[in-house]
Amino acid sequence: MSASTRMSSRLAGWLPRLVVAPSLLVVIVTVYLFILWTGVISVTSSKFVPTYDFVGLEQYVRLWATPRWHTAVANLFIFSALFLALSTGLGLLMAILLDQNIRAEGALRAIYLYPMALSFIVTGTAWKWIMNPGLGIQKVVNDLGWTDFRFDWITNPDMAIYTVVVAGVWQSSGFAMAIFLAGLRGIDNSVIKAAQIEGASLPLIYRQIIIPMLRPAMLSVVVLLSYIAIKSFDLVLALTNGGPGTATELPSTFMFSATFRRNQMGVGAASAVMMLMTVAAIIVPYLYSELRSEKND
Amino acid sequence: MSKFIATALAATMLMPIAAKAEGQIEVLHHWVSQSEVEALNVIRKDLEAKGFQWKDSAVGGMSGANAQQALRARLTAGDPPGAMQFLGWEGVQWAEQGVVRDLNDLATAGGWRAALAPQLLPFVTSGDAFIAAPINMHRQNWVWANKKLFDDAGVAVPKSWSELIETGKKLKEKGIVPIAMGDEPWQIGIIFDALLSDINGPEFYQKTAIDLDSEALGSPEMVKVFDALREVRGLVDDNFVGRDWAVATGMVINGEAAMQFMGDWAKGEFLAKGLKPNQDFYCFATPGKVTSFQYLIDSFGMFIVKDEAVQQAQAALAETIMDPKVQKDFNLIKGSIPARSDVSVDDFDDCAKLGFKERAEAVEKGSMQGAMTHGFAAKPEFASVFSDVAAQFFVGKMSSEDAVKMLVSGIDNAR
Repeated sequence: MSASTRMSSRLAGWLPRLVVAPSLLVVIVTVYLFILWTGVISVTSSKFVPTYDFVGLEQYVRLWATPRWHTAVANLFIFSALFLALSTGLGLLMAILLDQNIRAEGALRAIYLYPMALSFIVTGTAWKWIMNPGLGIQKVVNDLGWTDFRFDWITNPDMAIYTVVVAGVWQSSGFAMAIFLAGLRGIDNSVIKAAQIEGASLPLIYRQIIIPMLRPAMLSVVVLLSYIAIKSFDLVLALTNGGPGTATELPSTFMFSATFRRNQMGVGAASAVMMLMTVAAIIVPYLYSELRSEKND
Repeated sequence: MSKFIATALAATMLMPIAAKAEGQIEVLHHWVSQSEVEALNVIRKDLEAKGFQWKDSAVGGMSGANAQQALRARLTAGDPPGAMQFLGWEGVQWAEQGVVRDLNDLATAGGWRAALAPQLLPFVTSGDAFIAAPINMHRQNWVWANKKLFDDAGVAVPKSWSELIETGKKLKEKGIVPIAMGDEPWQIGIIFDALLSDINGPEFYQKTAIDLDSEALGSPEMVKVFDALREVRGLVDDNFVGRDWAVATGMVINGEAAMQFMGDWAKGEFLAKGLKPNQDFYCFATPGKVTSFQYLIDSFGMFIVKDEAVQQAQAALAETIMDPKVQKDFNLIKGSIPARSDVSVDDFDDCAKLGFKERAEAVEKGSMQGAMTHGFAAKPEFASVFSDVAAQFFVGKMSSEDAVKMLVSGIDNAR
């Protein structure tokens, strides 16, 4: 082997690493370094500006003694669970229905997927008006004659979080549908034909064969949607602005206002760390089990 | 040789003038609406007449929170703007970090301390240093009312909160929304601040909203404040969720609603429609035994910079802002009243004149106090507890006693 080919083969070995290095560096600095920095701030007494003293877990104690934070955490669980379940469920159902070789499938697919192209700000503002009892659905139905029809969740502190779910599901179920549809198209038709020859009914085929085969698509949907759920800051901001009162506060809105508007940088950092832990606690085991089972296959 | 010295002398004498002409100052602020920009132009023109350039750096949104974030980034990078608009405790807090220029020489020479109400000084001074030049003053506790609706219902301007609530009930029976507002915590906070002082007197406001006295916070008087707030809720329609303050003002203008509690920035909405105070609409202070004047001010602070040209521009800007004529022209456009107490009231509208009069009275009676909801009483970490509790109470079904308990524990937690 000549020196030049040895050179070029060594370069070929290094090239991928060289190309990836700048983006890796950027990610390390802008993501992981700042996660670390946030962690440091959360154990200091920082208020208006960062101060680097060590106060232990004081900010965490303070955080968990704040009623607004309890509301935020409860809302996150209600919102994420319903948002994930409904978006995934509706997305899967729509994908299966669209997969029945129907007419104008392309157009329908575009219509269902279209909300994803809107920003959460637009979705939130539109649904704010649709669900306002004096402007939207309630008024229309009342004007049609059903005068005692009530749909005023958005004004009710106990129900307002569900309006966020409605708007979120409307926006994201089409996206779940698209991924499932792609998954369905990837399934070999001969498997279904074989099952049909064996006399399996269509619902049985879906339950026992097709849906289990959509596992990789399911993984993508769940991971992407949970990340949308956690960062759904702009949806809440546009739809309810955390209201009525503080009823639809989410950890992300809490973190923002504590850090930037309430002079409680330490508390804000502590809440950010709690959010990270929560996400990690759910996603890491799931990813781990999914990736391991993939290797075993 | 002597010619050379003369030239050198002339050059050194000319230098400051040359530098002065080049002096440019960057001003970071969050005023982006049309009337705000027009008002700022008054300052800009006066500054330019002195030979300095104004470099505009507007960061709008989130009631100034975005501009604050921009400032933090700039200070961290060691590149502060020449001047910055301050709200509430912001200036004092930055001064404690040692980054704000002391304007004491100018303040002493210009007699600024004497020209301002003593209540303002905690927000524009830090120790012996004078840290910010206040341009205007808004009053938060105004009531804006539709005169025609009042006349048709045969009701007069209420003189006490119980009268106000009775008036509201009468209007409600006639199918009019008595009070227009939104559910944003700061809109609810405006009413809460007014009730604190109006129901229990300015001393109570001092003890609770400013001194955070535990005993007063948990007292039966505080329960009365929440009881009154519950009565106010009964006078607001159910569609108030997500309503912008200007939309609520529009409801009063259009005759859909009778009253709105809002700072005097709402006045511009009436005047823009060509309506006249006391002919088409009423402006009056929230009623109390002692009429309170809950103020907020906008001020401009200067950051410590090395560039001498900028330093000179800073001094010129501060003097421009404190110029009585500039204050008058600025506030005629902005709808507020001058921060200086010695500017003549001529040319201002009737609402502003009432504001001038009641400010002078309130300074004497001790009822001129900072508006908590806009950051001029307790520090933000405490003021936000008040606004959280008041907002949750207002939109939900919490009892007044529970709200008081929540307030006391919330304040203790933030200490």
